Amino acid sequence: MSRPLVPSRRLLSTFSQCLKHDKTQSLTSQCRQLTTLRTLSQTCLNIRPVQNGGRSEGPRYFSTSSSRTYKTVQEQRSRYRSGPFSWRAGLLFLSSGAALVFYFRYEKARMERKRVAEATKGVGRPKVGGTFELVDQKGDIFTDGDMKGKYSLVYFGFSHCPDICPEELDKMSQMLDLVAAHPSASSKPPLLPIFITCDPARDTPAVLAAYLSEFHPSLIGLTGTWDQIKDVCKKYRVYFSTPSNVKKGEDYLVDHSIYFYLMDPEGDFVEAIGRQHSPEQAAGIILGHVGDWKRK
Amino acid sequence: MGLFSTTSASHPAPKISSDGAPIAPDRTQRAKCWEGRDAYFQCLDKNGIMDSLTEKDKAEKSCAREGRQFEGNCASSWVTYFKKRRVMEYQRNQTLERLRAEGAKEMPGELGPGALGQKP
Repeated sequence: MSRPLVPSRRLLSTFSQCLKHDKTQSLTSQCRQLTTLRTLSQTCLNIRPVQNGGRSEGPRYFSTSSSRTYKTVQEQRSRYRSGPFSWRAGLLFLSSGAALVFYFRYEKARMERKRVAEATKGVGRPKVGGTFELVDQKGDIFTDGDMKGKYSLVYFGFSHCPDICPEELDKMSQMLDLVAAHPSASSKPPLLPIFITCDPARDTPAVLAAYLSEFHPSLIGLTGTWDQIKDVCKKYRVYFSTPSNVKKGEDYLVDHSIYFYLMDPEGDFVEAIGRQHSPEQAAGIILGHVGDWKRK
Repeated sequence: MGLFSTTSASHPAPKISSDGAPIAPDRTQRAKCWEGRDAYFQCLDKNGIMDSLTEKDKAEKSCAREGRQFEGNCASSWVTYFKKRRVMEYQRNQTLERLRAEGAKEMPGELGPGALGQKP
């Protein structure tokens, strides 16, 4: 559709040449009689070699409006045939289109993550997380202040857990390795993996140390008194059902929520990762949020 | 969840940590327990027993050897938990199948095998 339109400017200039310079009245009238652009172009093009031949004596026949001149008729014809489209223009069009699509998709994903991350920020939002003071597996005090400045992945469980906790902790180890192996990992705030027991009666620091040593070396195991654990579970909206008055040597299970809580460097809850996420998906979620943080 | 019971006599007593608390089963002990469980459940499947807690006599008669192996390798709370979980998972699958048969549409982001309302 656009093909006849674009070369018309050049053709018109050639046409004006015909009108301006040709001394022969017959040609002018011939040009005037032309009705279609196609026949016009053919007629005028046929005339050009004659003009060029007489260049040395007569006035120079340059088109003022056209910046490009063609050496041969064939060149101009082929340019006319291909119109404004060339492989270069096509490539530019396609690559800029692809870049735009990619950019919009990326921005959409980022905005979605931002929405999830900021759903718990500000006034009137449900608060997940908060202050606590517990003891780690080495017997040192660990508080929420130690989580500041780093993203942390918090999991609640207990060492005498039959199957789900060990599976999830193995998954957590894989997630940590995947996140650490990511090329951009070194430039980002480090990820702190935290395991908080729901079974403080049996999970003493030494028990946690023995238990967690079979999983990831960077895991931090936290325990405390029953009241301290009850408090931190309440703050993280974790449901658990450890009986508070367990006798020594008693065998029991603890029912608890099984989510990983991703917390940002300010100690705010970002997103929950559940059983339905594979380690790869989980690592992708974590890396997405951690990557966003750098830009802030 | 009221799963109090004394430690099975056949199950070896757990090691005691430096601060006096029993150490949880380690990776090899867990694997052994799961092995025992799988063998026991296979036997139950073969004999058409779903709930080994309500059909205790039948399970005892058909799978006595596997049962002892299972109980010998796992803490008794784990044994009860696995037995209950087997029934629960069966019922859940039945429910899902019934819903599918009724033409219910599955929502995206289906919960994993150990999702809501389950033991740890």
